[in-house]
Amino acid sequence: MTPATESVSFDDARYQQFLAALLEGDRQQARAAFEGWLHEDRPIRWLYQDILQRALYEVGARWESGSISVATEHLATAIVDSLLNLVYPRLFRRPSTGRSVVVTCSVNEHHQIGAKMVADIFEMHGWRSYFLGANIPLEDLLKLINEKKPTAAAFSLTLYFNIDALIGALTRVRESHPTLPLLVGGQAFLWGGQARITGIPGVLMPAKLEDLEAWIDAHCR
Amino acid sequence: MRTAGEAALTYLASGQALVLQLTPGFVIREVNSYACRRLGITPEDVQGKPFEELLVDFVSSGDLMSFVDHDGPPRLLSLCTANRVPESFFFKFYTIPDGVLALGNLDVDEQRRLRDEVLSLNSELNELTRKLHQANAELEQLNELKDRFLGMAAHDLRHPLGVLITYTELLLTESRERLTGEEVGFLQDCAEAARGMARMVDDFLDVSLISAGRFAIDPAPTSCEDLLAGAMVVVRVLSDRKQVRIHVDNHAGDRMVIMDAPKVQQVLVNLIANAVEYSRPGQEVHVELRAGGGNLEVFVRDEGPGINPEDKERLFTSFEKAGTRKTSGERSTGLGLAIARMVVETHGGHIWVDSTPGVGSTFAFTIPLEPEINIAK
Repeated sequence: MTPATESVSFDDARYQQFLAALLEGDRQQARAAFEGWLHEDRPIRWLYQDILQRALYEVGARWESGSISVATEHLATAIVDSLLNLVYPRLFRRPSTGRSVVVTCSVNEHHQIGAKMVADIFEMHGWRSYFLGANIPLEDLLKLINEKKPTAAAFSLTLYFNIDALIGALTRVRESHPTLPLLVGGQAFLWGGQARITGIPGVLMPAKLEDLEAWIDAHCR
Repeated sequence: MRTAGEAALTYLASGQALVLQLTPGFVIREVNSYACRRLGITPEDVQGKPFEELLVDFVSSGDLMSFVDHDGPPRLLSLCTANRVPESFFFKFYTIPDGVLALGNLDVDEQRRLRDEVLSLNSELNELTRKLHQANAELEQLNELKDRFLGMAAHDLRHPLGVLITYTELLLTESRERLTGEEVGFLQDCAEAARGMARMVDDFLDVSLISAGRFAIDPAPTSCEDLLAGAMVVVRVLSDRKQVRIHVDNHAGDRMVIMDAPKVQQVLVNLIANAVEYSRPGQEVHVELRAGGGNLEVFVRDEGPGINPEDKERLFTSFEKAGTRKTSGERSTGLGLAIARMVVETHGGHIWVDSTPGVGSTFAFTIPLEPEINIAK
């Protein structure tokens, strides 16, 4: 996997150290490496996409290939989840655009970091994000959408075998909110599967965070 | 070829189970590598020692021996692990040809439940942290909005108030002989109300500047005498009307001090006016200026109701007032002392209050005689 944001210098050795710390469950080491990048004032998108997302995709690939256990993958994910807290003091100080988004992981989906990063990207662009944690019941999601009347709703899917639950959720939201823009993404679509989603009217699938940002910018004009 | 039992034992011994071979008297003969790693021991450390020595809680060997070849559930035993933290293992004891085989393992289901719970708690904590940051950012934005509103409102109110004060005073000066005594009284009340409102507006403006971090002082040499005289002109009207006598002791004389005179005067006026407003007719207020210890020291003492100890801490905070009431029901925004503190501290001084309920209060502040050269402009 190559880094996506080429404009920011990428130190592969440091990244490898960070990845090794995650795989060893060394929270302190991972935090120190991440704080180093924060002190260098690296862009949030770079931190999310070229460091955290990249590392998590790599951890996931190692789990799928059987070189690490589920427990190791869970621990690495938990460490990354806690690292996001270090970004928040920088993240939430953006002028508001008055727009909002509901971001969720859909039923059966326990992997929430991707969705949280998407919520944060919206915040970065001055949107108010309502982030629903992992495995939120569909009725709760619909209730929140009715209550908050967001500008858009975003869904994250990490494990492809949960796609039926996602399709069910998208269909229900589309029925009750025919014009609400629905955005879908996540690790599950790295190797295809988009066709099953794009059949639902008004569903967009930004492939990368840059594509998502381009959509956000276009929607703010 | 191994027997099924030997194969199972080999598997267990190389896996994540504690495997210990014991003598019939429960003395350790052999331990597997996992047990060594997990318990932080070497075979040499423990060979020939009683099995009981590995246990955190003393359990008699007689009791343990009753579990050999026992058909019931495994025996839960706590052992001290490599990181000196006790851990509970489920043990079964079997008779083997030359002694006893002890097999211990962790409850995997329990471990999994524990892991899931910790991960879930971690996740909840992270979500709450995110919400907290989000809420903090929103509150900060609202606070900035409030300060901007306060600043704009105050700024826009200043001009019409200025017009009101100027023309009322003009009428009082130029047309006094054509007005009845009652009409003069009305105009005086108007002018006083407008001046009071102007002071409030100035307070709001100061607070918005303080909150926005744009509060600055403009120091220049000022004589203590001038400072005091300027303040007395303002408060004398108030004290005369309330029949409160002000005693002034200026031991600093005409000593020159580098300060932002209008702002320090505002502090002095605020303290003296407060003292008057908390006094009853016939009581006295004492104002004293001293130059000593590198500071100009100012004391304003009243004979009012005093301040409760629990109110003293928050007195210098915006919108906080003492629990006691002013004696003629005078109104206040609760900003004066917060602004006074900011003015004094920006000069590098201190402000404080000593008070005894039922006896009176002394408000005091200091301004350095030789200011720090980095006073913000």
